[in-house]
Amino acid sequence: MALVLAWGLILMGAGFFLAGTIGLLRFPNVFSRLHALTKADNVGLGLLALGLAILAGSPWVALKLALIWLLALLAGTVSCHLIARYALREQGGREQARP
Amino acid sequence: MMVWWLDGLLALGLLWLAWQAVTAPRLFRSVVMFIVFGLFMSLCWARLAAPDLALAEAAIGAGLTGALLLSAYRALLVRHGAGREEAPGIAPALARAIAVGSGVLFAVLAGILLTLPGAEAPAGREALARMEELALDNPVTGVLLVFRAYDTLMEMGVLLLALLGARVVAEPLRAAGPGPWRRPGLSEPVLVAPLVALLVPLIVLVAGYLLWAGTTAPGGAFQAGAVLAALGVLLRLTGRLRPTLTNSLYERAVLVLGLAVFTAAGALGLGTEGYMLSYPAGWSYPLILVVETTLMLSIALTLALLFSGSNGFRGAR
Repeated sequence: MALVLAWGLILMGAGFFLAGTIGLLRFPNVFSRLHALTKADNVGLGLLALGLAILAGSPWVALKLALIWLLALLAGTVSCHLIARYALREQGGREQARP
Repeated sequence: MMVWWLDGLLALGLLWLAWQAVTAPRLFRSVVMFIVFGLFMSLCWARLAAPDLALAEAAIGAGLTGALLLSAYRALLVRHGAGREEAPGIAPALARAIAVGSGVLFAVLAGILLTLPGAEAPAGREALARMEELALDNPVTGVLLVFRAYDTLMEMGVLLLALLGARVVAEPLRAAGPGPWRRPGLSEPVLVAPLVALLVPLIVLVAGYLLWAGTTAPGGAFQAGAVLAALGVLLRLTGRLRPTLTNSLYERAVLVLGLAVFTAAGALGLGTEGYMLSYPAGWSYPLILVVETTLMLSIALTLALLFSGSNGFRGAR
C-alpha cells in the first residue's frame, strides 16, 4: 500500500516536472515561463520528496528530504522574484518593479 | 534493467551536453550547457559510487566555475555591449573539428589502456589495504593527505599560483555584482535580505560538517572550501562584500595559510620520522585536522577572490 502511494506521488511529481519543462519551452514570455517553472520546482519536488520519504521509511531521512525541499523552495522563490523583477524593469515597468 | 537505462541516458546526455557546450553558436548557451554538463558529471560520479568526487564536481565544476563563467560573460556584455558578445575566438566549424579530434584521440587512448595487462598491485588496492595504519576511516582523505600528500601540497601551490596569475593579467573587474540596486536611488529587492540571513548560517554549518565528516565519510577540505567560497560569492553578489584593489595582511595570511601549515606539518615529519610529509607517530589525526582546516580557509578565500576578480574584500558599511 505504502509502495503504491509512494510511486503514485513520485509519478505525480515527475508529471509536474514534465509540465513545467513543456511550459518553459512553449510559453510566450518570461513571466508565464517563470510561472510554469516554479510550479514544477515547488510542487513537483515536494511530491518527489514526499514519495521518496515514504519509500525510505525513516523519519530522519524524511526530515532531510523536507529540508532539501524547503531550501529549493527558498532558492526558487527568490530567484523567480529577481528574474521577474529584472524582466519587468527591462520592459520599462520601472515604477512597479520597486519593492 | 532500470539502472542500465538510467546510466545509458546519463552517458548519452553527458556526450550531448559536451558537444553542445563546444559547438553552441551563442556564448551564453555554451556557458549554460557547461553548467548542466557539470551537474550531469556530478550525477555520473555519484552513480560510480564516488561521492567525494560528486560533491567536489557539483560545488566546484558546476557551481563556482558556472558562476565564474557567467560573471565573465557579463563582463563581456559590459565591455562590448549587448548582442556583440559573440567572440569565441575560433570558428564553430573549427571547434567541432577539434572536439571530434579530441574525442577520437581519447577513445583510441582508452582502447589502448583496456588492452594493457592489469598491474600486480594497483595503488588503490594498496591504499585500501594500508588504511588500518591511519587514524582515518575515509580512504579518499587518506589518499589525499597521507598516501599522496605531495600531490595535494602541489595542488595548493597551483591554486595560489592561479590566483596570482589571474590578479596579474586581469583588470579590476566591476561587472561581477553587486547588482544595480546597489546604485544610489535603487533599493534592494525585498527577498534578498531574508535569503542571505537564512543561507549564511546554513552554509557555515554545511562547510563545518563537510570538513569534520571528511575523516570518516565523503567530504573534506576541498568540498568544504568550495561551499565556503560559495558563501563569498553570495555575499559578493548581494553587495555585502565589496571588492577592493588592495588586500589586507590578514587576507594575504589566509591565502598562504593552508600551504604554509601543510608544509610545516610535512617538515615536522621530516624531523621526527625521517622523511617529508610523514606525520609524527600518534599525531596524525590532530595534524590532519589542522591541515584540513587551514586548507579549507585558503581554498575558500582563493576561490572567492577568483570569482570576485579583486585583490581583497571589504564590508559594505
